[in-house]
Amino acid sequence: MRMRQAAAAVLALVALACIPASAGAVAEGSGSPPMQWLDIDLAGSNGYSIHVSVNPRRHLILQVSKEGVELEYMTRDVLPDADRVKAKLVGFGTVSVRFHRRGAVRHPSLPGCEGKRPTVQPGVVRGTIKFVGEREYTQVKVREAEAAIEEPKSWLCRYAAKFEPRPGQSDWISKFSTEEEGFYFLARKYRPGVIEGGEVIYLAETGETFKRTAGRPPLTIFRDVSVPASASTFRDAHPERLTLSPPPPFIGTGTLTRTAESVFAWGGDLAVQFPGIDPIPLAGPGLGSDYCLRETGCIRQVEYQR
Amino acid sequence: MVAVGLVVAAVLVLAAGAGQAELRRAGRFDVQRALTAGYLSLGKEKGYQLALSMPNAQVVIFSAVRTERLQDERFSGRYSVYVTRNRGSLERGVVRARFGSLGRVSLRLRPSGPTRRSDPRSGCEGGLLTARRGRFVGHLSFRGEGNYFHVASPKGNGYIAHSPRLRCEQGKAEERPPRSLRAYAAPNFVFSDEQSIALLYASTHSHGRYVGISAMHREESRPGADVQLKIVEPRRGMVTGHGAFLDGPPGTLLTSRPGAHPATATLAPPAPFYGEAAYSEEADAWTGNLGVKIAGLSLPLSGPDFHARLCVVNPLRDKDGCDFFKTEPAFIERPARPGWMLR
Repeated sequence: MRMRQAAAAVLALVALACIPASAGAVAEGSGSPPMQWLDIDLAGSNGYSIHVSVNPRRHLILQVSKEGVELEYMTRDVLPDADRVKAKLVGFGTVSVRFHRRGAVRHPSLPGCEGKRPTVQPGVVRGTIKFVGEREYTQVKVREAEAAIEEPKSWLCRYAAKFEPRPGQSDWISKFSTEEEGFYFLARKYRPGVIEGGEVIYLAETGETFKRTAGRPPLTIFRDVSVPASASTFRDAHPERLTLSPPPPFIGTGTLTRTAESVFAWGGDLAVQFPGIDPIPLAGPGLGSDYCLRETGCIRQVEYQR
Repeated sequence: MVAVGLVVAAVLVLAAGAGQAELRRAGRFDVQRALTAGYLSLGKEKGYQLALSMPNAQVVIFSAVRTERLQDERFSGRYSVYVTRNRGSLERGVVRARFGSLGRVSLRLRPSGPTRRSDPRSGCEGGLLTARRGRFVGHLSFRGEGNYFHVASPKGNGYIAHSPRLRCEQGKAEERPPRSLRAYAAPNFVFSDEQSIALLYASTHSHGRYVGISAMHREESRPGADVQLKIVEPRRGMVTGHGAFLDGPPGTLLTSRPGAHPATATLAPPAPFYGEAAYSEEADAWTGNLGVKIAGLSLPLSGPDFHARLCVVNPLRDKDGCDFFKTEPAFIERPARPGWMLR
C-alpha cells in the first residue's frame, strides 16, 4: 500500500511538471494564460550542467545533470507573470529574476514535431540565481544569464527539453524491477547491438517531498540515473537466481533467490550513490520484485513485512 | 477473511448444492425436480457457529464452524459437519433425525409472518418459490465429541423453502444432488491449489476414515503457507466431516527447490496442529509427530499409513504452478475438478 501511494505521488508530481499549459490554466481558474516556458541554462561547479525552467503552471524546476545522473528540484514560482520568477528552493537557494527580450523570435524545427514549431523568444534574465547542492556537490551563483521564453504547440514538442529516446519495450530479453516508497529500480537486458555501451540498462529513480512550511511552497527532489553496462553485470543463467552488479554510481550487488519457503527474496548490498547524499539501498528483505524473461514469463513477489 | 466467507459458503453450498433436484433432459430444456430445503440458525456456542440445515427433504446436516483472526492479518478456522437422513417430512415442516450418540432432533416449523414468494431464477420457469419463516419447536440436543460444544434447544430463526418443478434452459438447472451422505460431509477445500508453486499433500484412508492434509505456497505470496485438513468417516447411520484451514506463518512449509533430488519438505503448522512432519522423496516416507486436535479428537497426521506427494515448480517453467499435480491416490475424497489431469 505504501508503495502504491508513493508511486501515485511520484506520478502526480511528474504529471504536474508535464501537464499541458491549457489544462493548467483551466485548473487554476485564472483565465487562459499563454502556454509559456522560461528556460535558463547554467554551468554548475564540478562539471554539472544546470537547467532552470518555469512551466505554465508556475512550477520552477531546477535540473542538475552529469554523466547519466539527473537531479531535479521542484517548487512553485510565487509570481504569476511569465517574464518574472521568484522562487525559494528551501535549503538550496533562490531564483529571483526578470526576463529581458534580446533578439528576434525564432521558430526552430524539432525532429518528430513537423507542423508544431514552437515560438522561442531569446533574452537574458537578470536578478539572482543561487543554488548550492547537498554537501556542495555543485553550486552556481549568477546575476545574469542567457534565457528564452518558449511557447510550444505541444508539450511533447519542447525545444528546450532534452528527451533522450530509450530502447523500445519490445527489444528487452529479460528484466528485473523492484520498488519501495521513495525509489524504483529497473534493470533491462537487451539483445546485443540494441543499445549503445552494453547490453543492459540500469535505471534508478528516487523522489522525496518536503512539505509546505509557514508560507513556503513544498519542495520536491527527484533523482534518477540511467547507465548502460555489459551483459556480465546481469547474471541470470539459473532460472530462479539472478545477480545484478551494475556499474557506478551503483555500488554493491543485488541477488534474487528462491528461499525454502518458495519466496523470491531480493537481497544484497546494492545501492545507488547520488551526489551529495548517502547511498540509497536498493535491495533488502521484504521488498517486492518482478523478474521477467521475455520468452517465458515472470516471477513476481509481493512486498511483505520484514 | 475471504476464507472465512468461503468456509461458510462451503457449508452453505454443501447444503444448497445437495438440495438440488435431479435433472431430466428434455430437448433443449432441463427439468429441475421440485425441492424442499430448510435451515435453522442455532447461534454461537464456545466460539462455534452452529446450524442445522436440510439441503433437501432427505438429508439433515448439523454444522459447527469456527473462525479466528491471527496475527499479521492471518486467519484460521475449523468446522465439523454431521450428516444423516431425515426421518420426518420436511414438506410438512417436520425434521426428525438421530446423530448416533451425539444428538437427535425432532422439530416442527411454527411459521410466523406471511409466506414469501419469489420468481424462479433467471432461465427457469414453472411456478413461484415459497419460503416460510418461523421458529422450530420440539426437541434438539447435540453434544460435540469431547463436549467441544453442547446445544440443548432449537432457539433461533429458521425457514423452509419450496421450489416447484421447473423447466430451465439447458445448463440453468441446479445440478443433481449427491446420493451418498459421504459427499455432503466432504465440502470443497477452502484454498485452491491453483497457482501454488510448492504443494505438499498427505492422505490416508483406512476403515472408512479418510484423512488428508495439504499445504501450499502460492506464487507471489508472502512467506508462509495455506494449510487445510479434511477428515471424513462414517459413524453408525451418519457421516461426519471435520476440517481445519489456516493461513500459516513463515516456517509452516519448507521445501527443497525445483529440480533438487531427492526432494524434501517439512510441515509445521500452528494450532490446531501440533508437531511437524517431514517428507523424503528418497525414502518415499512421511514421518514425524505431526498431529491435529480437532472436535475433541487428537489425530496423528504422519506415519507409514500416509501417502505423501510433493510438487515444487519454477513459475518460469511451469506457468500453472502445481495445479496439474495429481497428488492423491484413487480413494480421494476430493471432488473432481475440470482440467485435473497429469501432464
